[in-house]
Amino acid sequence: MKISKYKNFYLALLVIVAFAIIRCSKDNFPVDEDGLLITDRTSAYVGSFDLWDPTHQTVVVGTPVVDTVAQTIDLQVRFGTDLTRLWPRFSLITDAKLEPKVTGFVDFSDLTNPRQWTVISGNRQVRKVYTVNVTVQQP
Amino acid sequence: MIRKLLYKTTFLLCVVTLVVGCKEEEYAVPVPKSGLQNDCIKKSVGPGLAGIDMEFMYAMAIQQSEGKLISAQVEASIPGAPETYLEHRSFHTDAIGDDIGIPVATPSVTDGAVTKVTFDVDTNAATLRYYYRPTPDAADKEVSFTFSATSSNGQTVTYKMGPYKIRRMEVAPNLAVSNGNKFYISIEDMAVYDDTEATARPDKIDVLYLFRTITGITFGHSFVAPAADVMYRPGITLPNGINRNTKIQKAWNVRDIHLGANAGTGNNSYVYLDDEDFKTLDLSAAPNYAINMLAQSGIWVETADGKYRGYIYVNSINANGSAVIGIKRYRL
Repeated sequence: MKISKYKNFYLALLVIVAFAIIRCSKDNFPVDEDGLLITDRTSAYVGSFDLWDPTHQTVVVGTPVVDTVAQTIDLQVRFGTDLTRLWPRFSLITDAKLEPKVTGFVDFSDLTNPRQWTVISGNRQVRKVYTVNVTVQQP
Repeated sequence: MIRKLLYKTTFLLCVVTLVVGCKEEEYAVPVPKSGLQNDCIKKSVGPGLAGIDMEFMYAMAIQQSEGKLISAQVEASIPGAPETYLEHRSFHTDAIGDDIGIPVATPSVTDGAVTKVTFDVDTNAATLRYYYRPTPDAADKEVSFTFSATSSNGQTVTYKMGPYKIRRMEVAPNLAVSNGNKFYISIEDMAVYDDTEATARPDKIDVLYLFRTITGITFGHSFVAPAADVMYRPGITLPNGINRNTKIQKAWNVRDIHLGANAGTGNNSYVYLDDEDFKTLDLSAAPNYAINMLAQSGIWVETADGKYRGYIYVNSINANGSAVIGIKRYRL
C-alpha cells in the first residue's frame, strides 16, 4: 500500500509538529496584578534617584544619597525649585517595582512629611519603604 | 521536449526585453507652453501673524516670440501694512546658492489691497517676490491672494493662493533687558521699562528681570512676578502699585523662530508657537518665578488679570547682568 511507503515520513512529521506545539506553548510563568513577571529575586532596593522639573531638567544639587540600610534618599534641590511639581525618577534593582507608581508630577512641598515609596522585590515577598528627604538650597 | 522549448522561449524573451529596455532614447528639448504662464509658491513657513512678513515667489513667463511682460500685481483679500510690497527685482540663485536680484521693473506701488509693478525692461520671464505684512486688524481672519501678470500680447494670467489664517498671537522680538535698569517687563504693552517708566504705569508691569550673584545658590538670570515672595526678588524695593502676580513656568527646548531663535545652527530643534499652544496652556499650578534662566530657554506666563498668555524667550544672556528677550503673547 502507498500509505506504508510514507509511514516513516508521516511519523517523523507528527513528532516534529508535536515538538513544535510543546515548545511554542505559553510557559506558565506567574505574573502579578500589573502583568509583571514574578521572579525568584528577593532584593528590593533603590539604586539611584533623580528629580525633574516640568522642563524635564534635573533640579538636584550634587548626587542624592541613597541609604539602602536606613532606606532613605537624601537630596538637595536648587534654590527656587517649584516643589509642587516634580517628577521622581527611581532606578531599582532588577525585577523590583515601586508602590505607589509614579505616573506624573508629585508634590514635594510638605517638607515636614517626606514622600515615601515602597520597593517590592522580584518575588513580590520583600517590601521596603524608602523615604525621600528633600531640602532646598538656601543662600 | 515541451519543457525545453518553454525554457528557451522564456530566455529569449528576457534577452529581447533587456535589449529593448536599454535602448537609449534621444533627448528632445522640451517645448514650452504657448501663451503667458505663471506659477506661485509660498516661501515663508510657520503661522502668519501681524507684523511678520509672509513671503511668496511669483513666476511668470511668455515665449520670446509671443511677447514680453508688461506688469504684475497681487491683490490681497485684506489690505496689508504699509511695509507690504512686491519686489521689482527678479531673483535667481547663483552657483553657490546666493540670491541674485536683477531689477526688471519700477518699485511696486500699493493702492489699498493691490500691489503692482510695471516692467521697465524687455523681459519675457521673471520671478518676483511678494512680502505681505498682516495688520493687527487681520488677526483671526483668513487672507488670500490673487497674483496676476499681463503680457504685451494682451494676455492676463492669474494664480490664487490661500486662504491663510492670520493668528491672534503678537510678537515683540529683541528686547534688551538689564539688571537695575530696563528690568520691568510688560506683557500687556509688549515692552520693557526702566524704573521711571515703570513707576508711571505700575498696573502694566507683569514680570521683573533680575540678575544676582548670591553665595550658596545659583540665582543668575531670573524672571520673577512683582508679587513673588521677597526671597525670589532679593535686593529690590518695588515702586508703589507694582504688584501683579503673574504665573510663570520655565520652558526648555522651545525655541520659537518668530522670536529670533537662530534656526539652522547646531543640532537644536526650532518651532513656531501657534495660537493653539497658548489656548491649551495650563498654568493653574505654575509658580510666580523662574530662577536661573539660561540662553535659549524661556518662560510661559499668564498675566494676573487673565487677559494674556505669553511666552518669553531668552535669546542671549550676558555675565554682566543683561539679556535679550522676545515676547510672544496671545490675547485670551
